[in-house]
Amino acid sequence: MTAAIEASGLGKAYRRTWALRDCTLAIPGGHVVGLVGPNGAGKTTLLRLATGQLTPTRGTISVLGEPPAVSPAQLARVGYVAQDTPVYARMRVADHLRLGAWLNPGWDDELAQRRIAQVGLDPKQRGGSLSGGQRAQLALTLALAKRPELLLLDEPVAGLDPLARREFLRGLMAAVAEHGTSVVLSSHLVTDLERVCDYLIVLVASRVRIAGEVSELLASHRRLSGPSRDPGTLPAGQDVIEERHTDKQSTLLVRTGEPIHDPAWTVTPVSMEELVLAYMNPANDIPARRPQLGVAS
Amino acid sequence: MIRLTWLQFRTQAVTAAAALAAFAVLLAATGPHMASLYAASGLSGCHGSSCLSPATYFTASLARSPYGVLFLLSTGIILLAPAVIGLFWGAPLIARELETGTAALVWNQSVTRTRWLAVKLAIGGLTAMAVTEALSLMQTWWAVPISQAVADGSGAGVAQSRFSQLNFATHGITPLGYAAFAFALGVTAGALIRRTFPAMAVTLAIFAALQVAMPLWVRPNLAPPDRTVIPVTSLGGAGPSQTGPGGDTFTLYALNIPGQPGAWLLSSGPVNAAGQPVSTTPAACTSVGNTGQSAGAQGNAFPPGQGPAAFVDCLGRHGIRETITYQPASRYWPFQWTETAIYLALALALAGYCFRRLNRRRS
Repeated sequence: MTAAIEASGLGKAYRRTWALRDCTLAIPGGHVVGLVGPNGAGKTTLLRLATGQLTPTRGTISVLGEPPAVSPAQLARVGYVAQDTPVYARMRVADHLRLGAWLNPGWDDELAQRRIAQVGLDPKQRGGSLSGGQRAQLALTLALAKRPELLLLDEPVAGLDPLARREFLRGLMAAVAEHGTSVVLSSHLVTDLERVCDYLIVLVASRVRIAGEVSELLASHRRLSGPSRDPGTLPAGQDVIEERHTDKQSTLLVRTGEPIHDPAWTVTPVSMEELVLAYMNPANDIPARRPQLGVAS
Repeated sequence: MIRLTWLQFRTQAVTAAAALAAFAVLLAATGPHMASLYAASGLSGCHGSSCLSPATYFTASLARSPYGVLFLLSTGIILLAPAVIGLFWGAPLIARELETGTAALVWNQSVTRTRWLAVKLAIGGLTAMAVTEALSLMQTWWAVPISQAVADGSGAGVAQSRFSQLNFATHGITPLGYAAFAFALGVTAGALIRRTFPAMAVTLAIFAALQVAMPLWVRPNLAPPDRTVIPVTSLGGAGPSQTGPGGDTFTLYALNIPGQPGAWLLSSGPVNAAGQPVSTTPAACTSVGNTGQSAGAQGNAFPPGQGPAAFVDCLGRHGIRETITYQPASRYWPFQWTETAIYLALALALAGYCFRRLNRRRS
């Protein structure tokens, strides 16, 4: 399957400040990908580059194997819901759907009408009078009804209350399940991602700190707590992601492919939130994967 | 894309149609009466030089009637229409999409930015041109009696030559060029500045500056001006003016060019027999003019051999002639075409820049 997004040495500078710098990543298709990172990590810039809203200052990016926004056909393959989910303030909901029908050859009007009815939007209401949640639902409807292969969502639920957030994500998941659309969803709210994503990418300062399927990530990380101990003495194949020490006790978050046999440790599984926070913390020095068989240093 | 453009352009189109209708009603309601005044002034039956006097009376009396106000008002509306269009249609076209974030919505439908902009520019630009030219044609029809009086030689009151800034810029085809340019200028300013109100301000400033610079410095030189030297005595009606201590310097301007009706007079001034500009009064003429002027100023009749006419005669006897540079009336339409072409070319260049900017420098 072609990668949803592939970037190599990608950079975008505004005058002298880099919003994204030397970013190399491959986001696979066929997943609901959570793109998570602190503010300023470059998530929004990456998605705007992927939709052709921006052109790269350096490097290359391809989306579904083509340069972004290169042709009407490429534009038709990618749906995008921008941050703040903009809609036209003076146009009615129904006019937005007409806009979608006029501008997209693959427009699924039945889907659009059904979704508008489901989320309770009045077709006569103007964009400017919609609540944040309603606006997000309208923007998502527009993006879904053009029937894209890939849907890019930039912090779509950031401004919504918990109820609207749940409604939005439920609608998204229903549509994705129905049409098999690939999704890349950026957020800094891990709880939202937990609910919907099956693939996770942690982006910090333009760099991928970790990427992988959520189930594998959760299976390969463990929290160890036990008597105070130098992490350097751990066996090979156990990479320390995060460590906390008191006089008597050490708590470690380790990445390992093997079960932990050392009886000194109390082993607990990690939650996605713990995992993301550990990888997002710039103080944690993430080791490269070490060979499974080797001499501990 | 065309349907979307009409949907979003609906408010502006309705406003423009309403403005055109109001303008049409105003002119249609007053035009016939003004035409009847023209007929009553005796102009419709006159021939040749006998027309000058009724024509002058007609335009001078119009200037004191509501028609004088109406003439200036309608001219002003045609002059302002391109600026208003540039400000309110052009500047927001891209700037508002960027400002409200809807650019991210509309530029991610299955339509390239190039096509989006092409349709928006074509519909907006052509409508702008049609509206402005429609205003101009309506006013030209309304002002036919005035134009006729001007053709008959009147220079009084509301009468203005076809080359005057007010008439040249509101009649013929120049409004087409101004409208297209102002619209493209607004769009470009919006694309560059990315905010609607500053873009409107910049559009207005640049357009106004160009509308002043054009008649002052560019239009007079669209073709090399013609030059003629005529006897000072044939100036007819132009009064000399003496200055300096004892009246030893003088100026003498031409107000029209004998035998060149409708020409655009650019500059004039006295020259000596060798063709060099002069401003020193010949010694023999100093007292002629001086005495005459003081006598005339007190409301007395000029003594024989004194006064402005005698002064001009005296200048002529001493070899002084008047040089005039001008654009002949026959260049009116070539100038109209040239100026319109310049503005249309500028509009196209700005539009081309907008396409480049939207596609290459996305930010």
